[in-house]
Order: sequence, then structure tokens, then C-alpha cells
Amino acid sequence: MEEKKNKVGVYICYCGGNISDHVDVEEVRNRALKLPDVTVARTNMFMCSDPGQEMIIEDLKSGKIDRVVVASCAPSLHETTFRGAIERAGSNPFIYEHANIREQVSWVHHGDPATDKAAILIASATAKAKHLKPLAPIHVDAKRHATVIGGGIAGIKTALDIAGQGIDVTLIERSPLLGGQLNSLGQLAPYGDHASDILKELIDQVTGHTAITIHTNTKVEAVSGYVGNFSLNLLKKSDPENIPLTLDTGAIVMATGSVSYTPFKGEYGFGQYESVITLPELIRLLKANTSSRSMLEVNGKPIKNMVMIHCVGSRQIPGIHPPKENGTLNEYCSRTCCSAMLNAANQIRETFPETSIYEMYRDIRTYGRGQEELYMQASANKVVFMRYEADEPPEVSKNDDPDYPLQVRIKDGLTFNESLTVPADLVVLATGIEPNDVTNLASQMKLPIGTDRFLLEVHPKLRPVEFPITGIFLAGTCQAPMDSGEACNAAGAAAVKASALLSKGYIELDPFVAEVDTDKCQGHGACVEACIKEGALTLMEVINPDGNPVKQAQVTPAMCLGCGACAAVCPEGAIDINGWALKQYEDMVDAIVSDSVAV
Amino acid sequence: MSPQAEKEDNKILILATETCAYPGADSVGQAHSPYPANTYILRVRAPVLFPESFYFDCFKKGISGIIIMSCGEECPYDGAYKALAKRLDAVYKKMKEMAIDLRRLRLTAICTVCNRAFLKEVNDMDKSVRELGPPLVNPSL
Repeated sequence: MEEKKNKVGVYICYCGGNISDHVDVEEVRNRALKLPDVTVARTNMFMCSDPGQEMIIEDLKSGKIDRVVVASCAPSLHETTFRGAIERAGSNPFIYEHANIREQVSWVHHGDPATDKAAILIASATAKAKHLKPLAPIHVDAKRHATVIGGGIAGIKTALDIAGQGIDVTLIERSPLLGGQLNSLGQLAPYGDHASDILKELIDQVTGHTAITIHTNTKVEAVSGYVGNFSLNLLKKSDPENIPLTLDTGAIVMATGSVSYTPFKGEYGFGQYESVITLPELIRLLKANTSSRSMLEVNGKPIKNMVMIHCVGSRQIPGIHPPKENGTLNEYCSRTCCSAMLNAANQIRETFPETSIYEMYRDIRTYGRGQEELYMQASANKVVFMRYEADEPPEVSKNDDPDYPLQVRIKDGLTFNESLTVPADLVVLATGIEPNDVTNLASQMKLPIGTDRFLLEVHPKLRPVEFPITGIFLAGTCQAPMDSGEACNAAGAAAVKASALLSKGYIELDPFVAEVDTDKCQGHGACVEACIKEGALTLMEVINPDGNPVKQAQVTPAMCLGCGACAAVCPEGAIDINGWALKQYEDMVDAIVSDSVAV
Repeated sequence: MSPQAEKEDNKILILATETCAYPGADSVGQAHSPYPANTYILRVRAPVLFPESFYFDCFKKGISGIIIMSCGEECPYDGAYKALAKRLDAVYKKMKEMAIDLRRLRLTAICTVCNRAFLKEVNDMDKSVRELGPPLVNPSL
């Protein structure tokens, strides 16, 4: 067999049927083998599995291939996985190219066109791969200091865990108090610890830690820089002259938290009847209650019948629930309210046995360890459960009975849709969790925000608590509704990732930056003019091989953004982006227009 | 018969930015929303990389339509979008001179969750190229 000049290995994934149900994977493999630069083409049920990765490693080690193309899911999921496999084989991880045949083929096309397109995308990736060369990561010095934005339980825990690794931390809180939402909570579900005890312990630790600097009453005004070298402008509310404070830091953790949903006026009688309150208000009342009577009292009035309505401001459905003025609708489950409601109901039934409780719910979602028990406990405590559908919610109205100022009418799914009316002297709404609005900071740092308005991590399983912007992480209820235990889990994860990043004092960045071909560069300087990042590209005088001084472009790799503005304007084609070269794109287009692999 | 005329399909090249439009296309996939298969998405860091000649070379090679799916205002490379817009002005001007239908090149912004916008752009371009057929560009120009 004739020795091929390039040795590209192509590995095609079935993705357990996700790809192979629509793409004839074996046919694609046969066509890939006919490509001039391909020496090996293999398939696997899951390329990301250990046996899948092992195929690549073996082929590299035995010298059958020197470039790798994997055709599988989106590169955002497994590009790093396969680069890692190549590295474990002792090769340079940048000899890798990805063909996206799941998100961009099998999930959107079917039948022969899907198979043809997969084959063409692989041919195109192979065309790019043959120009790939080994690259070395860019070395950037990093400040061994992290900044945590938000002083709730997630922020406090993150700061403590990073400081525990011997890295200095600044903790920034915009309100006067550390502790966030936990300040307004009482006994926490499911085990009944007091929020105030947990907070006291954590705040004592964080204020007493020599490596942690705390700024309360402080807002982050601006963020600039890049991983290892961020700069923040802080504004202290107490400063009458508004002099911004500058803070240099190596990594940032967003722990900006959440707020409780505020019902609109008239939503279940809220703002209309004073006996309609939210769950956070009930928790505050319970915390302050010192009465030893057998009936709960609110504002001096004994509560005989209390109605608790679940899913207020959560699991909203377009067309059924009216959006807010800004057009938003909370379609997600707030996750924590069911357990919090049942926890409060148990406390009340056990402390004030003469107060009856009716819980009106859509579904009970007491997920997590020790939480379903709260539901069983509430049943044993004789809490009466009634179930409603989203399109027929309970109706709260005024009652003529002087003993019960309100009545709540419900079509109860548990009694075969019987219409029931419960007289009530207190109605409690389980208001959901909404993220704090951090759009300004997020847009400065280019952080993605989900359609639910929570901050978006790269991937909940593959890269949790990370943003796509290197050096910025997130933890706690800014990322999704979660209870305080889960917020602490996320905080621990974010702290470990931030500490690992900063531990060495330097960071290695992807080498996808501009490179000048000194043999071709004529020193016209068009690239320097086109460059959008000041300091990334300069015209320098160098001595050429003939001993004469000539001008040539020089790249500062740590500054270069890798956008390619320079490559487009060079008349000699003497500057290009490593890993994303113009020449590679030209060859990819050639592979797309050539129908050699599409039958 | 010219090589272009032999091909019956109308291929659409999509230059999709890695931070916005490319994950946007993945999001369409995650939603399992079908769209025409004559679309070939190239992941790019910033479309400012491509010189004027790239677009004309694509048309000469037989690409029927090109959609540049950028980040628009969300461009992570401050200043790159402006430079791109300026370049495309020049490309459009030259397309007019060469009698290439302007509908064959489209600049749009697609975000990471802009599924509807993505589908609309792809379907619109597909409709246009089906109507226009493959470009017949004189390779010597």
C-alpha cells in the first residue's frame, strides 16, 4: 500500500443510537476511508467511553495516524475529552479536529441526506486536520488572589474554601450584611438546624480569616482584564466622594444569589387582603413568635384555619399565567418551596396544635435526602392536602363569616374534582426563587444568561460551576433554585476550581493566536493597522538573513485575541491564526463543494 | 458544461461564531428542530478573518449562498464587527458589479438560544438559493 503523506485517523461515534438512528455510521466510515489523507477510520458505540478513547491512543502510539478527527456530538461537550486522550498517547493535543454530526446532523436531518452530510463534514474536518500542527500553550502569569461577588452562604463558603488553599480572597457584598437569604430563614428543612446558628459560625470564620478581605455595602462597577489578571472597580456606598476602589484579581466567582418572588396585586388576594402573606413572611413571624399558646397568633389574632398555596411564581405556563411587565415568566420549578412549606406546616402543627392547615398543591416535590419524610410527617400531623391544576387555581375571596375573614375555593383533584370551600384566617403563598438581576455585570464579563434569567454554567455535568470565560466561576442560587446545602456544594466546587487555576501562579492558555510567517512578511504593516487589540501586534525592526535591517510584524501571544482581523488584510498571506487558519477554511470549503464522499 | 452546472444541489455555507451562533446551531439540534440538509456550518472565531476574496472564491467554487452568523452586538472581539461590516459593504458592491444576486450573502446575528432566528435565516436562504440556482461566476474574474 502506498504510504500516505498525511495520516489522519477518523473516529465516528454511534452515540448509542443518537447518531446511528439517522446516520448510516458504517457507510460514513467506508466513505471516510477513501479520503486521500485518511489512514484509519473506526466507529464506536460511545467514542467518549474509555474503549473509544483507547482506539485513538493505540493508533497514535503505533504510528498509524498523526492527526485525529472525531465525529460525534457538539465540540463544546467532548473536544477537551479527546484532546486529553491524544495527550495521554504522548502526542500534542492540538492535532485534533472535531466534526459535529449529532447536534448539527442526526438531530436535525434524517435518512440519506443525514448520512451524506455527515460524510461531507468529516471530509471537511479532515481537510482542516491535515494543516494542523503541534502547538504549545501560552504562559500567562496569574495573581494568586480570587474575588467572590456576593456574600450569601454560597459566597461565604466559596471564600472560606479558597482561603483554605492559601490563596487571598476578597468577598464583596452589596448590602450592609453578610448572609444573604439565610438572614430571613428560620429552622431549615429537613433537619431543623437554625439558619442563624449556621450563619453565625460561617460569618465568624470568614471575618476572622486573615486571608479574606470583606467589603460590605459595596458594588462592583466595572470588570476588565483576562484570566489571572482581572481588574475590578468597586464603589463603596458609604464613601461620600464615590471614589472607586481598584482590585486586581486572578479569578472571579459569581455568587450573586436570588430573591423571593413578589406576587402581583390580586394574585391569590395578595396586596388586597392583609391576611394573605408570603412564605418568607410566615417564616419571619414564626421566628419572632414567643407565644406559648396552643394556637398560632398573627398580629395578635389567633389563626384557626391556615391555607398554604404552593407554586406561586413558579412553574408558570404561557397562556395561563400572566407575564410580568418586562415579559418574563418563571416556567421553572423553584424546588425548595415544597419542603419549606411542609417544614413550616410541621412546625406549626407541632407547636400550635389548634391551628389547622390546608395545603393546596399542584405536585409535591420533596426531592433530596430527608425531605420526603417531611411530607409523611405532615400527613401524620393531620395537615389536609388538596390538589389543584394550573389552569384552575384556588380562588381567594372575602368571607362574610366574622370568624374567618377569607375563604379559599378549590376544585380538589384528590376528591375527584369536588368543589370545596375552606374558610381561612391566614393564607400563605409559597413564593418561588428568582435570580438577582446581574445583567450589567454579566454583559461586561460576557457571561451567558439562560432564558430563565439564571446564570448559565458551561455544562451541568461536564463543566459544572464554570463559565465559558476562563477564570470566572459561579455558585449558589444565581445558577438555579437550590437549597442552602446545595448552594454550599456548588460553592465547594467553584472554590476548588478557582484554587486549582491559581495554585501555580501561572496559567496556560489555548495557543489559538496569530503567528507571522517571517519568510513571507514584507513589513507592510496592514495587519498592525487592522489589529483590534492594542499591544497585540507591532511592527519591529529585525535583521534579515542577509544582515540588513527590515520591518516585520510581531505578535504578543498573551495579548492576541485570535480574531483573525490581521489575516484578512495581509497581501502576502504572511499572518494567520494557529488552529483556525484561513488556509484551513479554504480547504474545508473545497471539501464541501467536492461531492466525492456524498454518493 | 461547466463544473458548477453539473451539480444539482444548492449548498449553503454558514460561518458561525464559536461563542454565539455555533452554540446557537447546537441549541437548534438539542431542540430536534429540522432544517434543510444543504447547510454546512463552519465554526469560526470571528468572521473578520475572511478577506473579500474568500467570498468570491466560495461562489466560484459553487457555493450557492453564504450566511454569516455573527454575535452582532455581543461580539467578544471589540471592534471586529465594525471591520467586518465595512468589509461586507465592499463585498456587496463588488457582487453588484459582478451581477451576483445580493441575496446570496447574508450577515445576521444569532445568539446561543436564538433557535427561531436560526431556522428563519436558514429557510430564507434555502428558498433564495433554490430560486436562484448555483452561481455562475466567471472563474477568471
